[in-house]
Amino acid sequence: MDEEKKPHEMMIEGSRISNAISQIAHSICCSFSKDDLANAALIGIQAGGVPLARRISRLVQAETGCRIEVGSLDITMYRDDFGTRPALPIIRETEIPFDINGKIIILTDDVLQSGRSVRAALDALTDFGRPGQIRLAALIDRGQREYPIHADFVGETVQVEKDWRVCMDWVEFSGTDCVYKIKR
Amino acid sequence: MDLKWTKKDLLSLYDLSRDEILCILNTAEEFKKVSQRNVKKVPALRGRTVVNLFVEPSTRTRVSFELAEQRLSADIINMNADASSFRKGETLLDTLYNIQALQADIIVIRHSATGAPNFLARSLDMGIVNAGDGAHSHPTQALLDIFTIREKKGHVEGLNVVIVGDILHSRVARSNMWGLLKLGANVTFAGPATLVPREFEQLGVRVCHDLKEAVANADVINMLRIQMERQESGFFPSVGEYSKFFGINQDMMRYIKPDALIMHPGPINRGVELDSFVADGPQSVILEQVTNGLAIRMAVLYLVAGCLK
Repeated sequence: MDEEKKPHEMMIEGSRISNAISQIAHSICCSFSKDDLANAALIGIQAGGVPLARRISRLVQAETGCRIEVGSLDITMYRDDFGTRPALPIIRETEIPFDINGKIIILTDDVLQSGRSVRAALDALTDFGRPGQIRLAALIDRGQREYPIHADFVGETVQVEKDWRVCMDWVEFSGTDCVYKIKR
Repeated sequence: MDLKWTKKDLLSLYDLSRDEILCILNTAEEFKKVSQRNVKKVPALRGRTVVNLFVEPSTRTRVSFELAEQRLSADIINMNADASSFRKGETLLDTLYNIQALQADIIVIRHSATGAPNFLARSLDMGIVNAGDGAHSHPTQALLDIFTIREKKGHVEGLNVVIVGDILHSRVARSNMWGLLKLGANVTFAGPATLVPREFEQLGVRVCHDLKEAVANADVINMLRIQMERQESGFFPSVGEYSKFFGINQDMMRYIKPDALIMHPGPINRGVELDSFVADGPQSVILEQVTNGLAIRMAVLYLVAGCLK
């Protein structure tokens, strides 16, 4: 069945999403000293983690004056389900325009579920160097973890039955911010 | 978002749509960046086995494929025609059935017989990547040429691309022709009439037997290697004469646009098709072609491996 024809259900929209992102940004400001923030960088997991990283960076700068650099990380080449899906995903841009050695890296992703993407992201990231710390920020935590991974900063926790997929649209990509679920 | 790639083999650019060619080029862009990192390796093909079966001699293509496989973390077996059972009379297909029985995933094959990879692709479940068959096809060479053109010029559509030399026997020329025409470039084949038959015009290329005329408005000039043994077969009177009429030297550069790219698939006969002044000059992108070849081969192996059942 086409993705579009499957049942969709809106979960979170508009200002509730902005509020959740502000919540994450504020927690980051509170968790690190000014010196640590000056040594921190945000790296978004492609695709949904990238706008999240950019927005958090702007909010942290507004709150503390600290400019936090932003990078993007594509994990396609590091996935553990290569060749088992019906089609290959598009490889998106990896751009880390700074040295990650010794830095505090805050990985960002829009929806956290199994933890497998984060596992792949950790492998991908450590191929670029040896960060001082790696932290994880997820806008939506829907539970159902398959790997021992948890987020340090979470925007919203939601309860969704296993047979629904949680997806997100971003203003940056489709003109609107929303979190919705699709029946698998 | 998913890729529009569903083929378990890469046999020829003739078989590919414009979108499939673009899919390979776009995928190669990200693989090129892998080779620019400190850790030049990704785990994408971990646990897969790739067999390099070169039944015809090759150095640079084989090395490029082998490095691409290593950078994708695949396991590799190298087979040469000399050391293999072809000498004992085993057929190509029997050899390949044996390799398949060892659970290999992909065969990279170079063969002097036109159509050998197509024949194998029909008979085997393994992925087949054509690394050059007869005078028929050399898809990864054409893809790396087109990738280099697109990277340098920003686009392919509308560009005037001139391919010079022994077109008659060249799989590189044929593969470039299919790929470039599908992406909207204007293709000219140039060289002596014995090596550049007029029949190519029926496929949509311009045929030109005068080099100055051919290169006048060229954005890209791809010089093919001239095989010395062709002289003995009477295709041209002497290497010196070939070079005088169809080689590019300092003097010929006056007729070439200052922003035209000079390409060569290698290995170069210095002083024959290209003067060192040109081969090492500012318009030459020959070594960038080699670098891009690695990225193209990583992308192709990755895409093919992703479509194996």
